[in-house]
Amino acid sequence: MPEDYTPDVRTDYIAQMMDISLYLKRPSRMGDSKRMRMTSNFQWLLLTVLLLYLMNQVNSQKKRTPRDLKCITNNLQVWDCSWRAPSGAGHGAAYEVCFENGSHSCYRLEKNIKLPALLPGDHEITINPLHDFGNFISKFTLNEKNVSLIPDAPEILDLSADFSTSTLHLKWNDKGSVFPHHSNVIWEIKVLRKKNMEIVKLVTHNTTLNGRDTVHHWSWISDMPLECATHYVGIRCYIDDPQFSGRKEWSDWSPLKNISWSPASQTKVFPQDRVLLVGSDITVCCVTQEKVLSAQIGSTYCPLIHLDGKNVAIKIRNISASESSGTNVVFSVEDNMFGTVIFAGYPPDIPQKLNCETYDLKEIICTWNPGRPTFLVGPRNTSYTLFESFSGKYVRFKRVELPTNESYQLFFQMLPNQEIYNFTLNARNPLGQSESTLLVNITEKVHPHIPTSVKVKDISSTAVTLSWHLPGSFAKIKLLCQIEINKTNSVHELRNVTMRGIENSSYLAAVDKLNPYTIYTFRIRCCTDPFWKWSKWSNEKQYLTTEAIPSKGPDTWREWSSDGKNLIIYWKPLPINEANGKILSYNVSCSSDEETQSLSEIPDPQHKAEIQLDKNDYIISVVAKNSVGSSPPSKIASMEIPNDDLKIEQAVRMGNGILLTWNYDPNVTCDYVIKWCNSSRSEPCLMDWKKVPSNSTETIIESDQFRPGVRYNFFVYGCRNQGYQLLRSIIGYVEELAPVVAPNFTVEDTSADSILVKWEEIPVEELRGFLRGYLFYFEKGERDTSKMRVLESGRSDIKVKNITDISQKTLRIADLQGKTSYHLVLRAYTDGGMGPEKSMFVVTKENSVGLIIAILIPVAVAVIVGVVTSILCYRKREWIKETFYPDIPNPENCKALQFQKSVCEGNSALKTLEMNPCTPNNVEVLETRSTVPKIEDTEIISPVAERPEDSTDAQPENHVVVSYCPPVIEEEIVNPGADEAGGASQVIYIDIQSMYQPQAKPEEEPENDPVVGTGYKPQMHLLVTSTVEDLAADDDLDKTAGYRPQANVNTWNLVSPDSPRSTDSNSEIVSFGSPCSINSRQFLIPPKDEDSPKSNGGGWSFTNFFQNKPND
Amino acid sequence: MLACLCAVLWHLPAVPALNRTGDPGPGPSIQKTYDLTRYLEHQLRSLAGTYLNYLGPPFNEPDFNPPRLGAETLPRATVNLEVWRSLNDRLRLTQNYEAYSHLLCYLRGLNRQAATAELRRSLAHFCTSLQGLLGSIAGVMAALGYPLPQPLPGTEPTWTPGPAHSDFLQKMDDFWLLKELQTWLWRSAKDFNRLKKKMQPPAAAVTLHLEAHGF
Repeated sequence: MPEDYTPDVRTDYIAQMMDISLYLKRPSRMGDSKRMRMTSNFQWLLLTVLLLYLMNQVNSQKKRTPRDLKCITNNLQVWDCSWRAPSGAGHGAAYEVCFENGSHSCYRLEKNIKLPALLPGDHEITINPLHDFGNFISKFTLNEKNVSLIPDAPEILDLSADFSTSTLHLKWNDKGSVFPHHSNVIWEIKVLRKKNMEIVKLVTHNTTLNGRDTVHHWSWISDMPLECATHYVGIRCYIDDPQFSGRKEWSDWSPLKNISWSPASQTKVFPQDRVLLVGSDITVCCVTQEKVLSAQIGSTYCPLIHLDGKNVAIKIRNISASESSGTNVVFSVEDNMFGTVIFAGYPPDIPQKLNCETYDLKEIICTWNPGRPTFLVGPRNTSYTLFESFSGKYVRFKRVELPTNESYQLFFQMLPNQEIYNFTLNARNPLGQSESTLLVNITEKVHPHIPTSVKVKDISSTAVTLSWHLPGSFAKIKLLCQIEINKTNSVHELRNVTMRGIENSSYLAAVDKLNPYTIYTFRIRCCTDPFWKWSKWSNEKQYLTTEAIPSKGPDTWREWSSDGKNLIIYWKPLPINEANGKILSYNVSCSSDEETQSLSEIPDPQHKAEIQLDKNDYIISVVAKNSVGSSPPSKIASMEIPNDDLKIEQAVRMGNGILLTWNYDPNVTCDYVIKWCNSSRSEPCLMDWKKVPSNSTETIIESDQFRPGVRYNFFVYGCRNQGYQLLRSIIGYVEELAPVVAPNFTVEDTSADSILVKWEEIPVEELRGFLRGYLFYFEKGERDTSKMRVLESGRSDIKVKNITDISQKTLRIADLQGKTSYHLVLRAYTDGGMGPEKSMFVVTKENSVGLIIAILIPVAVAVIVGVVTSILCYRKREWIKETFYPDIPNPENCKALQFQKSVCEGNSALKTLEMNPCTPNNVEVLETRSTVPKIEDTEIISPVAERPEDSTDAQPENHVVVSYCPPVIEEEIVNPGADEAGGASQVIYIDIQSMYQPQAKPEEEPENDPVVGTGYKPQMHLLVTSTVEDLAADDDLDKTAGYRPQANVNTWNLVSPDSPRSTDSNSEIVSFGSPCSINSRQFLIPPKDEDSPKSNGGGWSFTNFFQNKPND
Repeated sequence: MLACLCAVLWHLPAVPALNRTGDPGPGPSIQKTYDLTRYLEHQLRSLAGTYLNYLGPPFNEPDFNPPRLGAETLPRATVNLEVWRSLNDRLRLTQNYEAYSHLLCYLRGLNRQAATAELRRSLAHFCTSLQGLLGSIAGVMAALGYPLPQPLPGTEPTWTPGPAHSDFLQKMDDFWLLKELQTWLWRSAKDFNRLKKKMQPPAAAVTLHLEAHGF
């Protein structure tokens, strides 16, 4: 605000004031001290009142003058000064304003004055109100520093919106023409949103004023689509004029202008189909008249932001890359849903690995890799433009429907006479663009097509021309082509051909140094000079070169037939590189000084001819012929020079083949010939031969025909002028094997201590190596025992003889034992190993003296023993008689044979154990005592049962002997008690049949008779009783017995007294239906009987379970 | 089974039953059309799965059920039961034929717009099958002596991709297209089953058994 400037105070008012003050002071000087104190208080009050009065006077005086002069400017050219009107001045009061600005000028006006801008410095302004109250003139001093610069509020020319991009465009005029000089302007723009005017953007914008009216633009992209809510914009400015020294202030805000979307009745979601960068934020709103219930992006629900009316928005932060069809944002209302699709992706990456080359110098192919995926597909996909800057031409990349890989390519037609191309590949999508450049001399980047139409034509038998087609405009450059020559079984050969390029044509190259009549495979590839890339290899082209005459005559040999009348001529087929074609036939001629015989046109597969010759000295010549001509003849003499000094030597393959050596012979002029054959073949034997130059003294013979274990004969011939002389004869093996058969040997002679063995030689075919010796083993042994034994050399009982003298054919083995069987084994061995063995058993002859001694000594001993025995028997005959033959007692007194009848008839327990077939048929009681009461058979009690001692106390002397099955049992029962009584009874049972005889004394109670037997003891005591009480005793007996059955005997099928079977007391069949142990006489398998009674116990038992089961 | 069905599709133009004067009558061709409808139902199921996944959530959510907004031009398959019962064979077949003609056209538009190659392949395959069904229906109509409906000039359905349609509305249309297709196939199966029973000759030769494995 401008300062208030007070005009100069009038001097007369001040003088009046001073007078009043002095007058009031005088009376106070005359009073006493108390009065004085009261008086001073009063004086103070008076002074105050006076001061107040004076102040009021001054103010009222002031109010009657114009005051508070304020000057502002809005354009720096006119100052607008205003003041406060004096009190009492009417509304239409007029003033006279005078000021000095070079000249004194006065204006008569009402309220304020618009002055032209005054020069710097103080200026006096007098304002004289023209009214009736007196001459109250106000004087002001005015300086530019006291003037405020407040520009006019700017006016918005236009506010528009681009809804598709959510952009506001603001347009205003700076009205620069009103300002005298250039100055900076700061504009402040505010954007308000919604009806409650939330400030969403406050921004400053700097411009300069240049003396002209200028329209300025400002654009702003809203983070919220403009359709979502009303947006208001206001603007103000601040002029920063450096030449103006006064105060500068912001202008007022311009009137607000707004932008709003006039919604149709239809609900819409904004923005629609927006493409944006991954990671950015976006606000999506729904402009609707209905209540929005929820909003979701993809499948994620978002909180709603309420806008004006029922419009809502959601804010999505840090959006992730979209799927191919975009990210869906859906707003749901009561019965409907609205949505939009957002495409979040990346701007195109810089095209990578941009490479441009040409196949034919007609078209350039540029390839590149798109780099990082943009996640935008379809219409938002990246589009590529390849621009060539020198020619200004470009090609656009057409989206490939199905990109095969990540590599893109574009074709650019080459321009005539342009070699250097500057390519710029521009990639663009809705989010941005990028580019990559490449400067290329295209003649250095030629990658020729694959050569086609390869053809071969022959020049001669050793040279051909190759022609091929290479599409492309290579007229100005050099081509380098590579020809690959392939021969079967040979290494690849590469030949380079340099040629001038031709426009779209075929190329020719000659290939020489080939072999006649050979199949070659050619293929070609080309590149340009300078090298960039080889083309692919062309298809292979096979070609057979033409024939030439054979370069050499065939390798020839001759043999006389076995009868010596015919000469057989052999020759080898020419190798393909010497035949130079297909050999059709051979001509053979034999010429001597006197005559010439010839055989012509021997067809090719035949490599042998026989000519009847006398033993003259002939020269044989063989010529091979093909379709082109005949080979030079190969000659050989027919004559053989005899050699007396000939030894047969041995050779074995060392390394690759059989090494043959011979001494250098200066007489050998032409060459050495080594021929070989299988030794088992008949004469003339020839497998093959080999010629060696005359200056060599050794050779290695190799052949695929050689087999291991086969003996071959090798003959070394030396060629002299007149014929061939056999120099050495060698037998050899390529590999020695062990013999396949054992030597066949026989025993020539046998004595008591030696054997003479003789064997035969092994045939050569079966020997399979050079025989190195025999091994002879012998040991004691019978045929059966040692048959399967393997002869182990380490065993001490085997004696081995190694016979290394292979001419030895017999062997005598000495120091043998007489009448002993010997096992003889013979085997042969070679360096290849041991052959199989042949064995034989030989028994040496008996030694006769030993035999005689062996007979005589036992006879003599037997006689002596007999004599001594006889003497002894004679002397002790009385004792023998008493001992062995006492007097015989009367069998009538013997009670042992009395059986109790009632037992057999009524006691069912007994009948189960009745031994019907076991009746002794002969009983001899040697001695009887009166103390032995009876022999009772009412119950069969095993004699083994040793009664407990307490039970024996009652009648220890009693004993019962019961018969048993064996047909003859002699049993001596010694009763200790009976011994004390003075004797023992012996019972001899002879026949078991008497068991059927009626038994005596059935009344006796046998269970009370203890029996102690010392003779035969069955393994169990078997007690069978009919009464239950007996079971207890039975248990006791069980404890004493050695052997026990594995089950309780009582539970077995014993017929109880009350069973129906028991009435049939004599049937005795119970024991016979089942096998019985001869010892225990117990039934091993109880007979199956439906009627068998329950067991004694009556309650449930394991046995019951089984017995009842069949009844069930 | 698929191969068998493909073979059926391939040989559809050569099906003798489609001949008007064929001896066996319309029975076999109705049976084939019915079978084809069932097969297409199956095929659509897998196609719809792929396509809805392509449209993204919430379109592929099982309970997504948008209102039928901009899909008014799609032939509506849902019909009142009484109305459906009151239709005669010829009307039924005509409605089927017309519906599939329209749907096929829309489907081809869908194919042109699909962004991924795999989707385009699936859609093209389905279009071929649908074309086969259309031919099959035409064959049945011919066998029964009904004339084919002539497309009225100017009512040919067109596919208009472009700014007029927002991507979201387009997706909604796609969704509804698939849904209507499904309903139509279901309705057609019912129609042809009814027709088949009606036309059943005494010894109808069943040419193709469709197993319900994948359905």
